[in-house]
Amino acid sequence: MRWDFASVFDNTDALLVGAAGTLRIFAICLVLGLSLGLVVGLGRYARSRWAYVPATIFVEFFRNTPVLVQILWFYFALPILLPFSISPLAAASLGISLNSAAFSAEIYRGGIQSIDRGQWDGARAIGMSWAQAMRRIILPQALKRMTPALTNRAIEIFKMSTLASAVAYVELLQQGKLIASLNFNPIEAYTAVAVIFFVFLWPLVQFTYLLERRLRRDE
Amino acid sequence: MTYTWDFAPVVANWDLLAEGLLNTLKVTGTALSCGLALGLVLALMRLSRHRLTSWPAGFVIEVFRTTPPLVQLFWFFFALPLLVGIEMTPFMAAAVTFSIQSAAFFAEVFRAGIQSVERGQWDGARAIGMTYAQAMQRIVLPQAVKRMIPAFMERAIELMKTTTLVATISYADLLFAANEISQKTFRPLETYTVVALVYFVLIFLASLLARQLELRLARSGESTVR
Repeated sequence: MRWDFASVFDNTDALLVGAAGTLRIFAICLVLGLSLGLVVGLGRYARSRWAYVPATIFVEFFRNTPVLVQILWFYFALPILLPFSISPLAAASLGISLNSAAFSAEIYRGGIQSIDRGQWDGARAIGMSWAQAMRRIILPQALKRMTPALTNRAIEIFKMSTLASAVAYVELLQQGKLIASLNFNPIEAYTAVAVIFFVFLWPLVQFTYLLERRLRRDE
Repeated sequence: MTYTWDFAPVVANWDLLAEGLLNTLKVTGTALSCGLALGLVLALMRLSRHRLTSWPAGFVIEVFRTTPPLVQLFWFFFALPLLVGIEMTPFMAAAVTFSIQSAAFFAEVFRAGIQSVERGQWDGARAIGMTYAQAMQRIVLPQAVKRMIPAFMERAIELMKTTTLVATISYADLLFAANEISQKTFRPLETYTVVALVYFVLIFLASLLARQLELRLARSGESTVR
């Protein structure tokens, strides 16, 4: 067996289109997932039942079903209930974002709960409302502790973005499939895709390790 | 828009679903047992002081933790058979991929667990004349494993969710059965909803069990490692 990456390099444009697609869905899911996660996390932390119960059901449901099932549900099942069709990008983003929201909600909740009770009391004592104390005192401190966990979530989202290929959204793995089937070079095509992902993600993973070490030293 | 739900076509195909569920459990079980054994080997190699053993283990762990599982699966299913000239069934590809992938994650759990055991335990074992292997096997690992149980359960649950990826290489797991049924009956809404619920019940029960176990371990005074 001779390796021949020339056939992969000939298709650099296709891989670039795929990389752009991967980055697009990654950005969408990162923003939607982490911001929705904060809302749900606050709901999980709230004392009111009207916030706590729906947030808990949301978290349990999306944490305890596979993402691929969610994506396929949004792509094949949801359009039947809606008067319009759903694009592969929309279905995959919905699945990955909601799943990440459920996981990051637990990170936010844990982070907020880890802040010392005295910080709340102090903020309330100088006249801050609950929302002010949360925004100005609690969240900034909690966010620092949550950074490694949230960065890990971002890495997971990047990896999950490959699942969008199951509904034929054009991203790196999908383009790898295309190149492999056109040039009969699955070895080189899939190796190239794996290497690209590794090169993207490895620095991010090392950065998380660094954050974790620094945080352990600071606390 | 009004839509009348009709679960009868899905229920009529319950045998396909049952078979799919069985196959899902088969892949999960295989990958879990192979992954645990291989994970322990990788962890021991990585903890070793010799570069020749620690470096390759570190490489495997990093590669399999930082590349998407679906890319790994495609590589093992489409690329590896050509490379080594063997016939690869979807089940074999899935078993190999998920065994190595979960081994990489289990290795880190094992490593954290072993490192969490107090230095004095080692010293005591060595002082009464045990070799490294004996101390590891009789003193350190039994204590470490107990602390690792919650992290193991979590990984096992993650693994079960990851096995849905095998549907993309046409292995007849539960999700693949759903694809089949929805195409056959033109009832994607009911089919995918039922399958999502089956997964939910299965994984939720496993999560509850894990939480219960964690509580019991916490009560017996064992801290947990992640």
